[in-house]
Amino acid sequence: METSLTALHNRARTRPRTVIACVLIVLAAFTAEARRWTVSAPPPGQATSSLPTRAVLTETSKSLIPMPPNTPSAHASTLASVPGGMLAFWWAGSRESGPDVKVYAARWTNGKWSAPWEVASRESLGKALGFGVRRIGNPVAWTAPDGRVHLYVVATGLGGWAASRVVHLVSSDAGARFETRRMLPLSPLFNTSVLVRTSPVGLADGGWWLPLYFEIGIKYPMLMAFDRDGEPTRVGRIGERMSTLQPAIVRVSPTEVRAWMRDASGEQRVQQAVSRDDGASWEDLPALDMSSHNTSLAVIRLTGGEMLMLHNHVGADDSSRSTLRLSISKDGQVWRTIGDIADGKDGDEFSYPTMQQVGQELHITYTYQRQAIAHHTYRIATGENI
Amino acid sequence: MSLPDLAFQIVYGRLAWGIVLLALVAALIPSGWRHGRHVLGAAAAGLALLMALPGSLSPAWGLGLGFQYPSGLLVGCCLLGLHARWRKEPVPVMMSVSLAAPLAIAGAALYLDAIGLLAQGYYYAAFGPVGAPLLALLGVAGCALAIARGKGRGHALVLLGALLLYTLLRLPSGNLWDAIVDPLLWAWAVVALVRHGVRRHVRSRRRDGEAEPGLAPELQPTDLQPLFAAGGIEHLSSSKEQVSGKQ
Repeated sequence: METSLTALHNRARTRPRTVIACVLIVLAAFTAEARRWTVSAPPPGQATSSLPTRAVLTETSKSLIPMPPNTPSAHASTLASVPGGMLAFWWAGSRESGPDVKVYAARWTNGKWSAPWEVASRESLGKALGFGVRRIGNPVAWTAPDGRVHLYVVATGLGGWAASRVVHLVSSDAGARFETRRMLPLSPLFNTSVLVRTSPVGLADGGWWLPLYFEIGIKYPMLMAFDRDGEPTRVGRIGERMSTLQPAIVRVSPTEVRAWMRDASGEQRVQQAVSRDDGASWEDLPALDMSSHNTSLAVIRLTGGEMLMLHNHVGADDSSRSTLRLSISKDGQVWRTIGDIADGKDGDEFSYPTMQQVGQELHITYTYQRQAIAHHTYRIATGENI
Repeated sequence: MSLPDLAFQIVYGRLAWGIVLLALVAALIPSGWRHGRHVLGAAAAGLALLMALPGSLSPAWGLGLGFQYPSGLLVGCCLLGLHARWRKEPVPVMMSVSLAAPLAIAGAALYLDAIGLLAQGYYYAAFGPVGAPLLALLGVAGCALAIARGKGRGHALVLLGALLLYTLLRLPSGNLWDAIVDPLLWAWAVVALVRHGVRRHVRSRRRDGEAEPGLAPELQPTDLQPLFAAGGIEHLSSSKEQVSGKQ
């Protein structure tokens, strides 16, 4: 009896403290959220819309980017323009998924490539993140309006590519050194199975969209939006198909956005989706009559308004990645072949293309036989027939 | 979309995985053992040292590689178990139905959506700048009210902890889902639900067997009274927890 009375007495004494603590906790939580809400979000950017003009492409150079020593395998290049030149990033090592695979960079200035330098490895990423990284994969780069270069690198957890995560790195010195900002949170499944491959798309407000894709059995494309400081603002899925990946995204007008995807289904055609509300929601469209035998493609919109697509064409004597074809379109629906920028025999590989327009110059890189990264430049002229 | 600082995530990863590992180690210590508290203290100190080791020497390195970060709720459940063990109180190994059922259902929808079978964007919605934080604030207020009124304190405390971690620091990932569920916790909830279901089925079978011709029919209502009185799964679960705690 005495014990229960003491317990009651204690409870009576502690209850007001508990209530006060609860009130303080709730107040602290509301204050923390209120502080975030008072920082107003910038208005969404508007894409410029212009009528397409005829573009003429003239090849001005063709070369292989110098490879680091003792790296027989190279793949998945990406480009980012920097003042006075262009940066290329790709992964290289003894073999795909090998423990020695690292992301390398090289700089294009005055018509020549610099020697490559190491940007990210399993060790450097693991050290920065505080946990292990098993393998390194595709890099994707973007130069923000403030000149900082943002690099997104696939870094896997425990398992194969299905355990992929995406690390966000930032360089303030035009790619010479990178600092790890964070592992992007993209999936509730131990944050795995999301990868990058295709180039980001700039927005009028200085932000950009990073194309992503989920890949673990079912494959679907996604995009993550960033503000001009490189902070993520939203993430979402593109369409409802379950066998498309690596979206190449183009903003056609202030509201219309189109995405073309690698096809992992038996249809083996370039898949497409459209958004009529600036990327907020997406509608799947019928596939284009252009081949995609599970190979990556690139699409950009030239400043003149026309769109260029690089994809692996598969003809009668081709294997899935032996011909890299350049096509052009005014509206994104009807495409006309310009020509094959690489055409090999059965078994050759010219794949994973990337394009970047700098002024009146078009830069193209792609994987050359899984051994190196090839680079072509074209001069763009407008107003004439191609 | 507001994401946590990487430095906070690294600290959280080490602390959180340390607590989860300690709970697993503690589960190996026989309950009621005279030296249990000393062993638990020593295990906590040892794990703290281990977690603080640099790079791949720390278990957080490998756990992060495989599982990224545990949810705040999983860490909270582990802390609750450790607290009970420290106080030499019965530790419920399995999760109660009132916690396991919503976790299992919500987690199933979330993971079906994440693997692409649904296309609802449940995970992405929990990055929202208004909806998710507002939901978390309501949860904080609800949990605080429950604690102040002395109702369901255990669950309310761990949920409050997970929601505060999200609201104040946006840990572990900036996504509200990641604060309250992860695949490990979800698997635990599913196993707990299955176990509850099996136990319930076995009990009802046993009762049916007892109620066969050998028993007087008038005994049946009295025998089943606790079941009717329970008014559902939730009450049943807490009685099972006590049973499992005694084992």
